[in-house]
Amino acid sequence: MHIDILKWRIHILVIGLVGIALFTLRNLITPAVYHQQGYVFGTLVDISIAGENKDRAASLISHILQDFQQLHQQLHAWKLDSQGNPSALGELNHAFAQGTEPVTVSPRLAEMLKQTQAFSYQSQGLFNPAIGHLISTWGFHQDTFEPVAIDDKKISTLVQAKPSMTDIVIQGRTAYSRNQQVKLDFGGYAKGYALDEAANYLRQQGIKHALLNIGGNILALGQNGDKPWRVGIQHPRQPGAIATLDLQDGWAIGTSGDYQRYFMLGDKRYCHIIDPRTGYPVQHTQAVTVLIPPQKYAGVLSDVASKPIFIAAAPDKAQAAANMGITHFMVIDANGGISLSHAISKKLTWLDANFEKQHHVQILETR
Amino acid sequence: MRTGDWLILMMSAVAVFYLFHSLWSNTHATKVQIRIGDHIHATYDLHLTRHVKVHGTMGDAVIHIADGKARFAQSPCHNQYCVHQGWLSRSGQAAVCMPNQISLELIGDSKPFDTLNY
Repeated sequence: MHIDILKWRIHILVIGLVGIALFTLRNLITPAVYHQQGYVFGTLVDISIAGENKDRAASLISHILQDFQQLHQQLHAWKLDSQGNPSALGELNHAFAQGTEPVTVSPRLAEMLKQTQAFSYQSQGLFNPAIGHLISTWGFHQDTFEPVAIDDKKISTLVQAKPSMTDIVIQGRTAYSRNQQVKLDFGGYAKGYALDEAANYLRQQGIKHALLNIGGNILALGQNGDKPWRVGIQHPRQPGAIATLDLQDGWAIGTSGDYQRYFMLGDKRYCHIIDPRTGYPVQHTQAVTVLIPPQKYAGVLSDVASKPIFIAAAPDKAQAAANMGITHFMVIDANGGISLSHAISKKLTWLDANFEKQHHVQILETR
Repeated sequence: MRTGDWLILMMSAVAVFYLFHSLWSNTHATKVQIRIGDHIHATYDLHLTRHVKVHGTMGDAVIHIADGKARFAQSPCHNQYCVHQGWLSRSGQAAVCMPNQISLELIGDSKPFDTLNY
């Protein structure tokens, strides 16, 4: 009898110890993650590096943040630098407004112009970084924007001027615009570009495992210990996430939302995403999320590809996604209704178990 | 001990590990981490009521902490998105004030995700 109890006590003790040992072992196997945040691009940059010593990770991240700061200064749509000069993009916009005299652009800016032209063409003009004047009219070219008096006449004039990326002519290292109403705003592109640059830099530096988040656009390298990097998708109207998904090596994710930059006028929301066909902020959609498989410009696509889907009307969204080569996407409409492509539905985990029932989640058939 | 004993022992160990891992980790938040710019300013227990004044790049923000929740109560920023976010209560939830460069993040025993897409 006594021996039996003793035996069971030992059993329980051993079981407990093995359990604790396994748990500790698991934590030891998982390498430490170095995590750093910074504010660049008027937004939050959040970088994690796993499996690297702290000092090296810190110096790599600090290098990336400095690069971002430089890129931001080159591309800023409205701010002057400390000497009172416009950014490289600001100078180009100034030249475009003057007439068709070609001006010299840096190789980097020329590359960006070509890439945004190609994406704008692919989106059938829904992704249109040439509508800087419209964005400015809506008051979004200020650090502190407020409800503006809507100037219908001005908006309609700007729309009729049809500023388009195809108006820009690039010849070697020079560029000019055939349309004086073209004003470039890379707000829907620069973060994605920076994401690809940072990912390439880390790969060159031999980093295998990192998670890069620039203002909500995310790209994963490798994984976090023995698990893939896990990303939460922001609820457009509540604090916190609606769903999570695992981002495998080389995948990127991006969301366009009406909750990032907006103002309210009465009970109507005016967000920073403007339909270039009407000149008005989009009001039929709260958020569009796209998931991008590994490819050379995964970061850029995570930023750019959500815009045409966001702007397209509900019946055209699937086609807008197809035009951009997007198979994984999620749409949250103005009423909070959710539509998903079949491909992304298999990857999402809803954080609220009742979510699918409450929100009439619909699977979109892509043609 | 015989083979059967070892088998039971191993199975129990796996069960303990599994239960420990699944029951111990939940979405309940216990702490709030306040960041200013690129550094961690402070971490507070969520169950002690307090009003914290934090100095950001624009000015002073006031953060309320009570009953396992935290929120931006006042902010010098123009659009007040951070204040409109309201109370945060679950692990992983975050509120960021971009203009004033202050962020709140709720921390629990486990992290539901590594970063947030927005």
